[in-house]
Amino acid sequence: MYFRVTKNHINAIKAANPYLILSTVTAFVIGLYYALIQSPPDYIQGDSMRIMYIHVPSAWFALMCYTILAGSSVLWFITRNPTFNLVARSIAQIGMMFTVLSLVTGSIWGKPTWGVWWVWDARLTSMLLLFFLYLAYIFLWQAIANKDIASKISAALAIIGFINIPIIKFSVDWWNTLHQPASISKLSAPSIDVSMMLPLSIMTLASLLFLITVFFIRFRIEVLDNKILRAGDEI
Amino acid sequence: MYNLILRDLYLALYSSANFFYTSSFFILILVLLPFIFGTSIDQLQLLFKGTLWIGLSLSIILTMERIFNTDYEDGNLDIILQKNSSLEIIVISKYISHWLVYCLPLFIILPLLSLLFYLNTSDVFAIFLNLLLGSFGMIFIATFVSALTLAAKRTIFLKAIIMIPLFVPFVIFGSGDNSWLILLALSMLSFVVSIYVSTYGLRLYGES
Repeated sequence: MYFRVTKNHINAIKAANPYLILSTVTAFVIGLYYALIQSPPDYIQGDSMRIMYIHVPSAWFALMCYTILAGSSVLWFITRNPTFNLVARSIAQIGMMFTVLSLVTGSIWGKPTWGVWWVWDARLTSMLLLFFLYLAYIFLWQAIANKDIASKISAALAIIGFINIPIIKFSVDWWNTLHQPASISKLSAPSIDVSMMLPLSIMTLASLLFLITVFFIRFRIEVLDNKILRAGDEI
Repeated sequence: MYNLILRDLYLALYSSANFFYTSSFFILILVLLPFIFGTSIDQLQLLFKGTLWIGLSLSIILTMERIFNTDYEDGNLDIILQKNSSLEIIVISKYISHWLVYCLPLFIILPLLSLLFYLNTSDVFAIFLNLLLGSFGMIFIATFVSALTLAAKRTIFLKAIIMIPLFVPFVIFGSGDNSWLILLALSMLSFVVSIYVSTYGLRLYGES
């Protein structure tokens, strides 16, 4: 908990950057090959369900990024270590990007499947609310001139906004609306075929690598911007 | 505590909002309905409950800056913080005075309004109970957002973006029937969160 970012960490992140980009691109090429060419089309939805291989990972990571955001805010409150604050700020923008991606791909998928671009379904609406939570977090940071107070306030807001995550997760069960319930859960065998599970796993891995790559770039920028390196370290 | 509540009530009475202003606001929000959706009474009855929730949210969003921000900007908050040793007492008195000024008028005129829309007594009572329990929770949320965002001046739309997602659970359960127990639970939960976060916001302001 007394971890402090040093010059060596920043240099290691910088050195790892090309390898991360390379592995991200490789994973995306393999994943897209399996998703677009190898896997069979859905017997009801046809080829339009292939957008699932983008949609599902980005929705998962949109929620995961908010969990990390809230978790690092909690850790920041406990330890007052500025590193957690920078983690929260770096992950917020990536999470917002994944939320937008899942909303956009979802509505592109919805047009051929449901016949409309958007339905006022519980899960879609709460994803939209998640987008506004990210937006409020990022804008609140910019609205307050005193960065010390801004970090405290936005951390508190992130923790309170975390209430929205269970609402998103369970809204489908509570309201029982149009969006299909989760096909893959930890407690039971997945109700998805292996031929679709494989490309989905590879695409999830690719999205995760993409998240890590962008996160490290953003984190390095935040550290350099805020100059929170240990005394004596210069870059 | 009584002094603080009385001060806020006097301020509201003489300057910003008395009973007639706030009740007129709710009536006029409902008067807009027939102009938008036509005069078919069946349709208006369907829209009545939702419009009341939107009116309540709007009145809280519009006036949330008066909870702490105006006192902060004209310097009164310094004196209030000096005079009162307990931050919790300040926050609780703000809940009470703000609810009395900006939410109570809605509940006084609600029977009259439901008469205009031909609702029967049991329906009105259900709407009344849901709105009453929901309004407490929404005031708690508005108070802590106001206390937290003291440093962000003149950003009412940002505060609305922060608050509306937090209002969503109240609106979900408030629009349902027989859900007053869940609304009561939500309000109690938001009270616990709110009193802690509001005092945290005030303490931050006191330090800087």
